[in-house]
Amino acid sequence: MVIECLVLGAGQEVGKSCVVVTINGKRIMFDCGMHMGYLDHRRYPDFSLISKSHDFTRSLSCIIITHFHLDHIGALPYFTQVCGYNGPIYMTYPTKALAPLMLEDYRKVMVDRRGEEEQFSSEHIVECMKKVTAVDLKQTIQVDEDLQIRAYYAGHVLGAAMFYAKVGDAAIVYTGDYNMTPDRHLGAAQIDRLQLDLVITESTYATTYRDSKYVREREFLKAVHKCVASGGKVLIPTFALGRAQELCMLLDDYWERMNLKVPIYFSAGLTIQANMYYKVLINWTSQKVKDTYATRNAFDFKNGMISGGFSLEVFKQWAPCEKNLVTLPGYCVAGTVGHKLMSAKIPTQIRLDEDVQINVRCQIHQLSFSPHTDAKGIMDLVKFLSPKHVILVHGEKPKMVTLKEKIQSELGIQCYLPANSESLCIPTTHHIKAGASDAFVRSCLSPNFKFLKTNSAELDDSHKRTMPLLQVYDDRVSEGILTLQKNQSPKVVNQNEFMEALGVEKHEVKLAHCFRVYIPDSESGDASDCLPSTSRKGSLLHLISEKLCRELPDFDVQDCQEHIQIQSVVVSFCSNEKCPHRTGVSLQSVDKKEVHFCCSWSVADDALAWRIVASIKNLELDT
Amino acid sequence: MEHRLLSVTHSTLREDNNLSPKSAAAVLSLITNPFTSDSTLSSLLEALVLRLHNPNSNSDHQKVLSLLSALSHHHPRLGHRIAAAAHAFILLPSTPTPSLPHALSLLDPAHPFQTDPFSDESLFLSLCFWQCVKTRRWILRNLSKFRVRPSVLITVLLGFTKDPYPYIREAALDGLVMLSNGIVVEDPSLVEGCYFRAVELLFDAEKSVRLSAVRAVSEWGHLLLALKGDKTQREWSDALFVQLCLMIRDTDAEIRVAAFNALGKIRTVSEDILLQTLSKKTLAATKEKKYPGQYTAKLFNIPATAAAFTFVHGLEDEFYQVRRSACHALQMLTVLSAEFSGGAVHVLMDILNDDSMVVRFQALETLHHMAMHDHLKVEESHLHMFFGTLLDNNGLIRSAARKALQFTKLQKLAMFRSCVNGLIKNLELYPQDEAEIFNVLYKIGRTHGKFVTSIIHEVSQELEPSFDGKLSFDKKRTAALLVLAISAPVSLERSICSIPPRIYSYAVTLLGRLSSGLVHVMDQNTLLAYLSHCSKFTVASTSENFEGELLNFDLKNSFTHLWKKSDAFSFPESMELKKVTTPVHGYLLNSHIKATSCVEIVLWKVVELWPLIKLRCMNDVVQTLRSWKEELRNFSCNSRHPAGVLGFALRYLHVIKLLGKAWACYFSQRNLQFTEMGVLEALLHKMESRLKEMLCRHAGLSRGEKLHILELMLVAYTLRLSCGVTSYFEDYINKLKNVLCLVEYLQKEGLVELSHFVNELQNISCEIGHSEDGFIYKLDRLQKSLNLFSLKHIVLSGELKYLDAEVDVCDNEFQNPLPFIPGLPVGIPFDITLYNISSETRLWITTTLGEKSAQFVFLDLSEFGGSNEMRRFTFLSPFFRTPLAKRFSLKVSIAMECLSEDQHFKHCNGPKHELIHLCKGKEVHLSMPVK
Repeated sequence: MVIECLVLGAGQEVGKSCVVVTINGKRIMFDCGMHMGYLDHRRYPDFSLISKSHDFTRSLSCIIITHFHLDHIGALPYFTQVCGYNGPIYMTYPTKALAPLMLEDYRKVMVDRRGEEEQFSSEHIVECMKKVTAVDLKQTIQVDEDLQIRAYYAGHVLGAAMFYAKVGDAAIVYTGDYNMTPDRHLGAAQIDRLQLDLVITESTYATTYRDSKYVREREFLKAVHKCVASGGKVLIPTFALGRAQELCMLLDDYWERMNLKVPIYFSAGLTIQANMYYKVLINWTSQKVKDTYATRNAFDFKNGMISGGFSLEVFKQWAPCEKNLVTLPGYCVAGTVGHKLMSAKIPTQIRLDEDVQINVRCQIHQLSFSPHTDAKGIMDLVKFLSPKHVILVHGEKPKMVTLKEKIQSELGIQCYLPANSESLCIPTTHHIKAGASDAFVRSCLSPNFKFLKTNSAELDDSHKRTMPLLQVYDDRVSEGILTLQKNQSPKVVNQNEFMEALGVEKHEVKLAHCFRVYIPDSESGDASDCLPSTSRKGSLLHLISEKLCRELPDFDVQDCQEHIQIQSVVVSFCSNEKCPHRTGVSLQSVDKKEVHFCCSWSVADDALAWRIVASIKNLELDT
Repeated sequence: MEHRLLSVTHSTLREDNNLSPKSAAAVLSLITNPFTSDSTLSSLLEALVLRLHNPNSNSDHQKVLSLLSALSHHHPRLGHRIAAAAHAFILLPSTPTPSLPHALSLLDPAHPFQTDPFSDESLFLSLCFWQCVKTRRWILRNLSKFRVRPSVLITVLLGFTKDPYPYIREAALDGLVMLSNGIVVEDPSLVEGCYFRAVELLFDAEKSVRLSAVRAVSEWGHLLLALKGDKTQREWSDALFVQLCLMIRDTDAEIRVAAFNALGKIRTVSEDILLQTLSKKTLAATKEKKYPGQYTAKLFNIPATAAAFTFVHGLEDEFYQVRRSACHALQMLTVLSAEFSGGAVHVLMDILNDDSMVVRFQALETLHHMAMHDHLKVEESHLHMFFGTLLDNNGLIRSAARKALQFTKLQKLAMFRSCVNGLIKNLELYPQDEAEIFNVLYKIGRTHGKFVTSIIHEVSQELEPSFDGKLSFDKKRTAALLVLAISAPVSLERSICSIPPRIYSYAVTLLGRLSSGLVHVMDQNTLLAYLSHCSKFTVASTSENFEGELLNFDLKNSFTHLWKKSDAFSFPESMELKKVTTPVHGYLLNSHIKATSCVEIVLWKVVELWPLIKLRCMNDVVQTLRSWKEELRNFSCNSRHPAGVLGFALRYLHVIKLLGKAWACYFSQRNLQFTEMGVLEALLHKMESRLKEMLCRHAGLSRGEKLHILELMLVAYTLRLSCGVTSYFEDYINKLKNVLCLVEYLQKEGLVELSHFVNELQNISCEIGHSEDGFIYKLDRLQKSLNLFSLKHIVLSGELKYLDAEVDVCDNEFQNPLPFIPGLPVGIPFDITLYNISSETRLWITTTLGEKSAQFVFLDLSEFGGSNEMRRFTFLSPFFRTPLAKRFSLKVSIAMECLSEDQHFKHCNGPKHELIHLCKGKEVHLSMPVK
């Protein structure tokens, strides 16, 4: 059994996340994003790899969207409306609510401002969203008979989720983007400890180790406060939804505490609409917002005002003044004004387009808030889930290689980083469904534990230091027997039942050994007495049992007249000249001082038996 | 109605068929109705018990039992009869096992029956191994009721940690936690087994199991630590810490809280690991370290790096419960390492910005705790946050902030100023905090005397009356500044005395308000006396006389008081009051007593300090000694070295301080194991050299005085030897023996009685004889002998002369060096003045260049004139080893050969005995002549 993983996007790169996973015949597409850096065919995942016949509805069981960022959802209307996928689509409620806003905004920018050819229309978006089934957190959805999916909270942005998918016994988690440390407005990712074959995780910050968020917040607030206090203006362009909310909350809290009266203006646009959703979707935010919700909705910003306008226009006006401050997000796309500012040395001149060039004299503050988890967070999550395999996507290759090495060496988990269009097969254990008999179930109910003292010498080096000497075992489940009969489903039965069901007797494999021992004739030296008398035999046996008692103090040696029994080993005289177990050359003339012993034992006591044999053989040497 | 119901139920109860829901409801209605008569109830009870005991009606025991428990719940007076019935039912052989738990729950384990089912091990085990999961869970949850051998319990519980049902695993772990509190397990492998089993369950899929596992790991981890020897204990403690650190990244908040609670309970953790908890990057010190435990389900060694960022993660957590718990754990752990505290402060200061009041409060508590342990280093960047809390909306937070502030040490004047401003702002915004603010101002003023003085000077204009002659004392700021001002004279830094006295008289006008703030420090009368005293004298009493009563405060009282409060941390306030007020009383009463009598009083009173030293109340002892020294020094303000008796007394007090500190250090065993060893050795070394100086540099010591000093020396050596780990063990044995010889010699000379302590030491020494390592075997006797020691009154018999020397080089300064030529000897002209040094004394001029060994030049005193009292002469001393440098400086001093010491030195042309320096090293600057 294998899980097949076909990476259509975000393999060794950031952008157009799209992974198609086949588990036990079920095909799930996780995310359907677009690449913002390309304008040609590379902007969409190469859907033709899924099915050559382009019958996507039949070849995919469902599509799962983790959150509303365009690099995770951008290609969805195109795929459903243009490529014709008609199957189920799952996403969380907030994603379903916010996704059309994002898509529409993007479409507008593309078509209206850049005058590009329309990839999908507004109607497409509307139609596409109609096919979406919204899910709640930790709600198990039965997509079809075999496929189960479940969403877990991922932080990152409002409504972002990790998805768990399970077919039969193979289970995977696709994380999408997530954050392991809480923001002001969003919580940290939260997931159960699951039995997983595979985790597909993002790795945007595969090698970054971020400092405490408090330091960043304090620096940001200090810079803003300093600027405002000295009469300057602050421009905070935020390109990402959610970032605006985070910064607003931060500033709002600070304004409140410091009793500042300087007005804060929001640029009209996505922020206002999104704010409305944030207010409604309180349940998806951080614990702090939930806690204070009863008294005040944290998204009702007290100090905010709203006006129209674009940051660029404002920037043109404010940039020439030294008093002002512009904050920049931690990541700016190459070619944008933000990117130019980041690399520039103030004061400088920036060419906005061919005609406009502005003098920049204002201060610049780099903001490094990021809703992505850092390397430690990824390691923590992988360690917590402890899957059998990990696939890294959504990152830069060199960094991903470092992280891969780390996961493999530190956690001992196999890790891969497939490139786009690459397909990867991951073996999974094959499970079958089996019925259980009543007797077996009953035996499972009663505890059946035992303790074992392990000998540290038996353990290999890696365990020697740490394995405790005392171990507990409870084998009640493993003592069943799996039966596979023709035309019947497999069944687990109890040991006793099994014999009965087959109608056979219990057979036991026994080993036997017959050997010759030279008995010194201590009593009389009378050679004429051919066969040892019964009484003499008895005394000899007694002698042996005493000897064995001495040599095997740990075992119970039973002397039962005719034979000696130690556990399953039975030692007795053998008078049968043609004993089939007899080894060695049988001499023609029977030496009278020789006696034959026949031993039999079951397999479990093999070692013990040979010790006993050796001990009896030594008898002649001793006496 | 009641009767009809009763008769109906009677008939149904008697019949053999099943109890129908309807009739059960009827019985229940009778039970719950408060107006049901007693007779009905008891007949109902009888009927129920009859049915319960009837072996044929075995199908509805559960129903009957639940009716009985309802009856027992609503009518507790029937409880005893019901318990008896249940007991009988349990003993019936026909009783089915599933009904047992229900019947058992009707019994009261506090009143055991003769055949107590709760002590019945076979019953317990049969219930445990019964196939019904519910029964098993019940029994695990009610473990505490059973009186079963702990060995049985522990085995059963350990076994159930392997149960396939998570609730059983959880209950078993909880049982183990409960068990860990009350039992002593001596089998290390069993404890280890339990510990590692719990560790395994930290990786359970069920979060409730993980939660219980965290607690179990913590408890059994501590049991495991207790079993480990000293050597491995530290490592196991670290292992436990790192193991628990793993759990703070669990996605369940409750588990994170439990993990932090458990972390806070760990008593010793390596500093490296603590520092790692504040850093995300792997630190060099923890990089390679691995501990036994479990890292993932498959990896059985935890790297120390698993602790990375633990506390920052905790303090950043989404849930305030986790943040609070992390703060609390920090509070417990910052005690362990100053460096860790230094790092933690940065994070904690940010936490003061937290939106949750509980977390802010806990953060302040933690800061307070750190300040108490002197681990709080506040930096300027913190001040904004720290003092911001003084203006918090919440009174509790403000109060906690002030509490943390009162022990805080501020390094710079600017910091102190903003602190005072913060407090004043607090006062202006929240006048209800006045008393507490005054208290804090007074306390921080006392610890920052210098800063107070400069602040008061800055604002003294404000404190003056305005033009119309009115004092603006209604202003809160003025009042606060006055409190600050009056705290200065009791400051520990004695040099502050320049606060204008009229300020104290202004303060008198606010007496009521001030005294309510300082109510814990002194009462109103004392305050008044204090203020009026301070306002009288301009410069704090350097030339003033004081009288005997000053010292006559009732140490005995405070002593008994201390006994009652054995907690060494919280000094009783009365003690503090005494400290503050006694000098004041002294100043107020004017009478003239000569210095010598004053010395006598001090030396007499010193003996009374001994019980306090024994109690290790060193803060009080040190302060008292300091104040006495201060008073004594007043008599000798003119001379450079307080001469004669006065000087001797001052040195004696210093030695007593050292002795007290060493004594406290030695007897606080806990510290000894770690860092304090070095401190103790340093103290004893200092004490030894001071005592030697006292012995050698005072001419005219009587036998008794000598013996007293020698005894103190013996104490120092015994303390040193008793530690057993000193690096010069044999040296000190020899020293001890030498001193004992001297004592014997002195004793023979004049039949003096020796103390028990010295006698015991002599005995020990006699028993050992001449064998070299004999003392090692007598260590415990040496240690015990210390108990015999007590400080005696030293009586000064006559005039003492202090051997002293001064050395100087004319006109030699850094700017004006002596000329020399590198490699050639140079002559240095010294101006030497000697006091009280007889001509027989072997004096040397020692010259040292850098760290190199000294050069010695002998001074033959017979060559110079002058009397023994004072000699002044010029001496041209050569210095041979001039270095190849353009300029250099030498350290020159005069030393006396101490003939009584046997120790031989290996200077070939130098002194043969130990040297005692008679003056401070004088620096001589030499330079190549500029051409």
